[in-house]
Amino acid sequence: MGMVLEKLPGLTKGLPGGDLVLTSADYLIDLGRRQSLWPMTFGLACCAIEMMASYASRLDFDRFGVIPRASPRQADVMIVSGTVCKKMAEPILEIYHQMPEPRFVISMGSCANCGGPYYDSYSVVKGIDRIVPVDVYIAGCPPRPESLQYAVVKLQEKIAKMSLKKGLATPQQEKGSRDINV
Amino acid sequence: MTNDDLFAKIQARWPAVLKASIPVKDYLTVRIASPDELVPLASFLRDEGFDMLDMLTATDHLGPVNMSGFIRQPNFNPFLPEGATPEIESAASAGYPYRPAMDLLWSFVSVANKNRVIVRLEIARQGVRVPSLTGLFKSADWQERENFDLLGIQYDGHPNLTKILTPDFLQGHPLRKDYVHIKDRFDE
Repeated sequence: MGMVLEKLPGLTKGLPGGDLVLTSADYLIDLGRRQSLWPMTFGLACCAIEMMASYASRLDFDRFGVIPRASPRQADVMIVSGTVCKKMAEPILEIYHQMPEPRFVISMGSCANCGGPYYDSYSVVKGIDRIVPVDVYIAGCPPRPESLQYAVVKLQEKIAKMSLKKGLATPQQEKGSRDINV
Repeated sequence: MTNDDLFAKIQARWPAVLKASIPVKDYLTVRIASPDELVPLASFLRDEGFDMLDMLTATDHLGPVNMSGFIRQPNFNPFLPEGATPEIESAASAGYPYRPAMDLLWSFVSVANKNRVIVRLEIARQGVRVPSLTGLFKSADWQERENFDLLGIQYDGHPNLTKILTPDFLQGHPLRKDYVHIKDRFDE
């Protein structure tokens, strides 16, 4: 697994034989969640090209445990990459509701954030956050693949703060979608 | 056969068909006078080797555009005082004056000869009815539906003239210049 045991919060020394590790349940669960964020495979516009580039070998999203899944039932995170038309809004909502809890949304690019250059349009949803709660926004038109990977790192930081005591609520559900530093 | 020969052949059969004043690139661009000439002309062009309907589209020349349906203010600069002269104002471009007309265009391609013929038709923009080309070209089907959806052009004889691009709840035809956007559930 490649885990650095010295960084675990808990007692790792002095246990009999070294077979046991003492840590908190929150830490262990969040560790599993944040190191295997499987996104739903779909792209909406030109941001999807940057998303594909970040999956490819040069930037290698697999390092983060990000492996695209072809079914929303197996996905943890939805990367909304591109312009969301009003006609596409309903399929996106359907995908979002098919994903199992806890689910996360990354809004990638100006179009998904706020409508972008199509703000005046009759057919474009002015921001994906009008239909689904968003965890991380990425600015850019389109953002570089590094930005998307940084967004995943920020989402991992966010997941690390999730707690069983709060009834498995995501930080976003606790504090609202726009505050990233919960 | 050169473009001039082809045009002479067209004009021998339809004297009302004229060359357009502004051609599309170097292609033969003709203007027909009424929608009734379209189907015979398209049929003639298909027999002459122009066997692909590449594109059909239209432009609404009504103006200026009513900005009230748009979300953005005509003065998007927040430092301007209240009631300043609008920065966004629609203006007619040179050579294309505002007029209540719809300019329709069909593009026929000859794949073998690497040539194309553009057929244009300008008619009054209220209640545009033109014959459908679906009987001659299969590719006319979806493109005519798109033109119907976005510009409200009725294609007589089309087998299934329904919306193709805009969502079901969208009222009106968005590319018409008198279109006013009605807010839907995604617009707050």
